[in-house]
Amino acid sequence: MNEKAKISMFTIAWKNLARKKTRSLLTAVGIGLATWVLISLFGFNHGYKKSLDRDIDSLGFQMLVVAKGCPYEAATLMLKGGTGLKYMKEDIVQQIISEKEVESITPMLMQVVFDPNKGQSGGLTAFLGIDPHTYPRIKPGLSFKQGSWFTEEDAREVVMGYEAAELEQREVGDFYLIPEKEVELKVVGILNRTGSQDDGTIFIPLRTLQQIFGMEGQLTSIGIKVDKNADLAQFEEKMLRLPDVQVVSLTQVKTTIMTLVSTARILVFSIALIAVLISVMGVINTVLMSVMERQKEIGILKAMGALRTDIFKLIWTETAILCFLGGAGGAFLAGLSSRVTEYLIRKLLPFSPSGGLVIIEARLIAMAITGVVLLGLVSGIYPALRASRLRPLEAIRTEEE
Amino acid sequence: MRKTRLLFSLRKNPFLQSAVILIVFYYLRLPLLAAVGCDLNDPERDVKLLFPESTGFRTFYVSVAESGGPELLRQIEGRLKDKFSGLFETIDVPYTVYEIYQKNELIGYIHGVNQKGRYGGLQVFLALTPDGEIRGFYLQKFTGRGAKQFRAAEFANQFKSLRLGDFDNYNPAQGVEEPPGKISQIKNPVPEAVDDFRAILRAVKKNLILMEFLVFKKEIKAGPAPGSGP
Repeated sequence: MNEKAKISMFTIAWKNLARKKTRSLLTAVGIGLATWVLISLFGFNHGYKKSLDRDIDSLGFQMLVVAKGCPYEAATLMLKGGTGLKYMKEDIVQQIISEKEVESITPMLMQVVFDPNKGQSGGLTAFLGIDPHTYPRIKPGLSFKQGSWFTEEDAREVVMGYEAAELEQREVGDFYLIPEKEVELKVVGILNRTGSQDDGTIFIPLRTLQQIFGMEGQLTSIGIKVDKNADLAQFEEKMLRLPDVQVVSLTQVKTTIMTLVSTARILVFSIALIAVLISVMGVINTVLMSVMERQKEIGILKAMGALRTDIFKLIWTETAILCFLGGAGGAFLAGLSSRVTEYLIRKLLPFSPSGGLVIIEARLIAMAITGVVLLGLVSGIYPALRASRLRPLEAIRTEEE
Repeated sequence: MRKTRLLFSLRKNPFLQSAVILIVFYYLRLPLLAAVGCDLNDPERDVKLLFPESTGFRTFYVSVAESGGPELLRQIEGRLKDKFSGLFETIDVPYTVYEIYQKNELIGYIHGVNQKGRYGGLQVFLALTPDGEIRGFYLQKFTGRGAKQFRAAEFANQFKSLRLGDFDNYNPAQGVEEPPGKISQIKNPVPEAVDDFRAILRAVKKNLILMEFLVFKKEIKAGPAPGSGP
């Protein structure tokens, strides 16, 4: 009996909404749009943080020591053509490695050449010189699709990230020519796809790269893996005492980036909040109008014996249906448009990590729909109460007048 | 001294924070190269170079996997007289085709392929008339010796007016045309880079075959098995 009553309550509510199709649809669309913005934002929040974490973790070290100078200028110049790189002496490695907080360390040299035969106006190709002994140890996650790491520390060999090899159509045993320098290297390894910056990197033994570019004894950076029990801030202070170096703590970088991004996020969250409030007002308005238009009908229902709670439940069910449909539609839209949202965010943000920027999980969708339905139910209380308090005879008479 | 240290302290210098982010992202992002495929680097500019009279273009994607699968691949390899090989010349490679228009009239196509060269990847684009005749050759990317000569107009002009039929007797696996025809007349501008010259010819033939099978969709009987000769 109760089961039957529940079904009929839902059917009546559904039919009531269907009587004013356009109004119901527009209200659901309003809720849907607000849900879409909310889910996309939370998805972005989660996705961006996850991708940034992965990008930074994939570096394998928590601290990067670079030569002192204006890093901004250096980065700009590098981006403009590989000039202006700041270098530090290689002997600094011994000073750093003697610190007790250091778990492992890997020296690196980056060199950039201009390749005039890349496209119509040329392009840059970057090479990362790495120490064959320490780099693989600091990044144990790297695995090979073909081949392996270098045979000797000054071997004329190259290891390519998956995408770099794909672009250059290289396989193990092939040759690779460094543009400008006309130096021939043998491909000894192709890395598996990692989804990180390593996919596009061309690795060369540090000594070999130093020789080719005449940069013996010079480094551009040193990656440091710090002991997990060490005090990072204290260690950073210690590193800053070294002459002519700048310390970049990746944890700080992550925090700073997240702070920068959160400014934009707060702004969009505020807009989303306004959208939610507007849609809540829309729900109240729609349901209230529906109640006002159906005073006679509600009066007849009450005259036939419907209790106040029955009327309250009926109006609340209508609100819940509207909110659920809007919420589900918004969630579907958010899932469908996540790649477009990601594309737009990448265009808008000055820095965006690799990998998915918008991650929409089932849990997020469930939470958003539940939240929207709950909010809708709260906003439906007033119209539902008003309907339930109508006096049958007055209600019938009012509408007749 | 302490002040100098503070100047370089990340926590107390927002400018430096931004600067450091830039440099770290440089390390994170710079080596990232474009995903494989063969797209024009600057379609607006490159289309105008190959079709100066064009007023617009449309882009679409095709692949052997979606257009016919292993059977189509067998036919393509048969016509090429060589196998698709290596890690990156696979059945699912997406090919970008640019359909070129002058107002509402289709005036041609641009299509590029990746090809393995001796020292790196080559990207060979052809500008074709609507019935498949080469009207332009563009070597977008070349890693190797003699790039300047291979990218020169004199070399590119040798491909003008050629059609797929002209390549039928050319065997890319052996690098010979038997009996000698139009392809044998194409001069290698860098004799010491014979591998790259052959790679370019293979790329042109592959490009024309892919256009024939995936775009023009002409009925072509399966060719002889790869490597069996003309």
